[in-house]
Amino acid sequence: MINLGSYLIISFALFICGILVMVARKNIIAILLGIELILNASALNFVAYTKFMNNNLDGHIMSLFIIVTAAAEAAVGLGIVIRFFQLRESIHIDDAATLQN
Amino acid sequence: MFSNTLFMLSAALTLGGAFAVVYSQNLMHACIYLLASLFGVAGLYACIGADFLAATQLVVYAGGVVILMLFAIMLTGGTGNKINRYGLEKVAAMGNKKTYFTAGFAAVVTSLIILKIIASVLRAQPSKELAANQVTVEKLGTLLATDHILAFEISSVMLLGALVGAAIISRPRKEKHD
Repeated sequence: MINLGSYLIISFALFICGILVMVARKNIIAILLGIELILNASALNFVAYTKFMNNNLDGHIMSLFIIVTAAAEAAVGLGIVIRFFQLRESIHIDDAATLQN
Repeated sequence: MFSNTLFMLSAALTLGGAFAVVYSQNLMHACIYLLASLFGVAGLYACIGADFLAATQLVVYAGGVVILMLFAIMLTGGTGNKINRYGLEKVAAMGNKKTYFTAGFAAVVTSLIILKIIASVLRAQPSKELAANQVTVEKLGTLLATDHILAFEISSVMLLGALVGAAIISRPRKEKHD
């Protein structure tokens, strides 16, 4: 039951859900939710390989740094979203097209 | 036995939460489902003996990131008389047929690539017995303060920079012309 394959399958499903949320949604905060899912999938992979392949703890360290980076990314991303909302009264991704043309 | 039950429960919570994030129409509900999914991931960590990581996942994600996102959702819900087109009232913002087609295409391509990569791992199941779970906090602390000290310091500076940057970016500032 608890083996490397099942962990990889779960991480794979999490990653695909994150991709779907990130591409299909039009709401900036929803896109940030998708990014959190993808980061969790990668951290889960690191921990699973640490347990089932080699028993040193470098994967745990890497997973900790992923969590730290995700927290920093969420803070800065939400700051940008709130500033954008103050300027444009919208959190739709299609309104953020100033640099496009 | 207990470990298997915990694993099944956590896996169901994780996958169900992730699918609900994809299909939920309401952004607030999607955030709560994300919280459920993160709890499930913490349970999965606990199943394979990563106790410190499970606790960190709960504290940082459930206590920090999801609350932050809930605050951001509530702060961007429309103000006063101005009708917010894409705020909480009409959250739709789920995308249209075109974005769903693009997302499905991206998901299919990505899943094909990943399945190709992990197929060998799935086929050759290593059947060696696992080492018993042991407390990892002490070893993690030693590793973090000796081998990975540079990354630790850099990540602390990065956190400080992110904090200051977020405060500066989201601060209301006076426009020049009024």
